[in-house]
Amino acid sequence: MLMCRDLARIGSDYIDGQLSTADNFSVKMHLLMCRHCRSFIGNLRESAQLMKGHADYHLYEEYLRRLESSIDEALKG
Amino acid sequence: MALPTERITDDSNLVSALQAGDQQAFHQAVREFSPGMLAVARYYLDPSSAEDVVQETWVNVVEAVKKFEGRSGLKTWLHRIVANRCKNRLRTANREVSSEFGEALEPGIASRFESGGRWATPPRLRLEEHAELLMENGALNDCLDKHLSALPEQQRSAVMLYEAHQHKAEDVCNILDISASNLRVLVHRARQKIYLMVEDFQETGEC
Repeated sequence: MLMCRDLARIGSDYIDGQLSTADNFSVKMHLLMCRHCRSFIGNLRESAQLMKGHADYHLYEEYLRRLESSIDEALKG
Repeated sequence: MALPTERITDDSNLVSALQAGDQQAFHQAVREFSPGMLAVARYYLDPSSAEDVVQETWVNVVEAVKKFEGRSGLKTWLHRIVANRCKNRLRTANREVSSEFGEALEPGIASRFESGGRWATPPRLRLEEHAELLMENGALNDCLDKHLSALPEQQRSAVMLYEAHQHKAEDVCNILDISASNLRVLVHRARQKIYLMVEDFQETGEC
């Protein structure tokens, strides 16, 4: 039987639809019975959403200008 | 005075402009694609070498883009070039990326179960009920940036490519030279870290 800790290990696989049909069914059954795991999965899903909007490098202007200058030079041939 | 040029929104139009050597198109592409290219390079190299490789790649792309046939998207193509250049550097220096993927559970989550595997310290909040408020909270956004910057470099690169740049898992595995299961661990660990950070922030108001 799937325990809460097992579900926590594969939480992202469930969210991203990476589980086999049988494992996906086991997770769904567990979630029907366990409100803590429903919270965990909901929170993990929100964490992924938060990262989508934030997980990027903010490049400093000086570096971007350096990249543009080297391209300009290369374009001149 | 030069008229401001419009941003090219379509990938194939951008490729055509790059192939025609349009300077403005290159400047747009630099700002759009360099963060992701740097994420790839930082996976393999130290920050300074990573910046150098991204710069070398752009210089190389000025000519190489003329042969771009569109078999993959422009972003994926650029990321692959950066990855190959990084791997060549490592090969020349006779070095390898040290890979430590570890357990699927973050220690902060793993310690919250009793020995039988049930929750001993269950999730304290339901973030989904607060999602919109969370996104509007400036202090939380700052805290999120801080924690994302503090992720181990490999986790951060994987998360950036998978979550922020919306690459398919298969593409991330190719670019970073890792197996699908290792990518799953990197992404899952990063999500748990952010989850624990938000939970803590919601409870204490501190980052």
